[in-house]
Amino acid sequence: MLDVVTYIQRQLDPTLAYRYACRVGMCGSCAMTVNGAARWTCRTHVDKVVRNETLEIAPLKNLPVIRDLVVDMREFFDKWARAKGHFHGARTRNEGFEPVKPDSEDRKAVDAGIECIGCGVCYASCDVVSWNPEYLGPAALNRAWTLVKDARETGTLERLRAVAGDAGCHACHTHMSCSERCPKQISPTAGIAGLKRAVLKSALRGEL
Amino acid sequence: MSRRGETRLWIAQRASAAVLAVCVVVHLITIVYAVRGGLSGAEILARTRGNVAWFAFYSLFVLAVTIHAPIGLRAIFAEWLRWRGRSADVTLLIFAAALAWLGMRAVMGVFV
Repeated sequence: MLDVVTYIQRQLDPTLAYRYACRVGMCGSCAMTVNGAARWTCRTHVDKVVRNETLEIAPLKNLPVIRDLVVDMREFFDKWARAKGHFHGARTRNEGFEPVKPDSEDRKAVDAGIECIGCGVCYASCDVVSWNPEYLGPAALNRAWTLVKDARETGTLERLRAVAGDAGCHACHTHMSCSERCPKQISPTAGIAGLKRAVLKSALRGEL
Repeated sequence: MSRRGETRLWIAQRASAAVLAVCVVVHLITIVYAVRGGLSGAEILARTRGNVAWFAFYSLFVLAVTIHAPIGLRAIFAEWLRWRGRSADVTLLIFAAALAWLGMRAVMGVFV
């Protein structure tokens, strides 16, 4: 699909604006809507998505369009910050590594969600984002979940407060479009369900 | 509404859903039993009048509906109608009160 878009720009319409970088499914910058579904264009074969000899290429949904196929990703990444998507450890560089067992349940949960590269496919596929612009979205909540399950993390309570409520994990209706479309086979829905459980426990303890 | 309040609403909706799952099954079985057994209106009233267990069960059912339905409707208001905030919440409180009143009226109608 990315070759098709490049062909259009080079041969048919040099004014066409689109975005890509690595071309091999590592950077996530070439995500677009192809025949109605958000995908990485670089990893999508035309014969897998063409319908009735027709291809419709559009910008990602749920994000403001800058021009043609290029969307403004700022709100998407700002929501990662709002979901407290940054790591806060307790140790300094002068201390040793904190041992984390790879086969521990917490680490397995982190591994299941950690490979997100922030392409925005899940965010563009989410019905709740389209209905509730304040909703943090699958990627930001998945990031929050990987930090909640990180044994080294110290800011968990603050993070649970940030992701609770109608703009956070409780808005998810488990439609699972994010999990269906994620090119990295991550299930943000599972992470969001985990956040709901974590917030519930925290609320019952009266910490929230 | 605060995030704590929204979290409480979510917990209330999940808890009431768990109650409803049991209540609806019992309710359906009761209906099928009453219809198949060919019970008359008088025979049904003879079973329900003064029956405290029956009254307690259906009061719980009404309570669960009163909690569950308005919270679900709140999400529909917000997402489909973009109706959020105090006016929506007050409307939903009135809706909850109407559900409770109509439900308990029906329960009392066959208990007393």
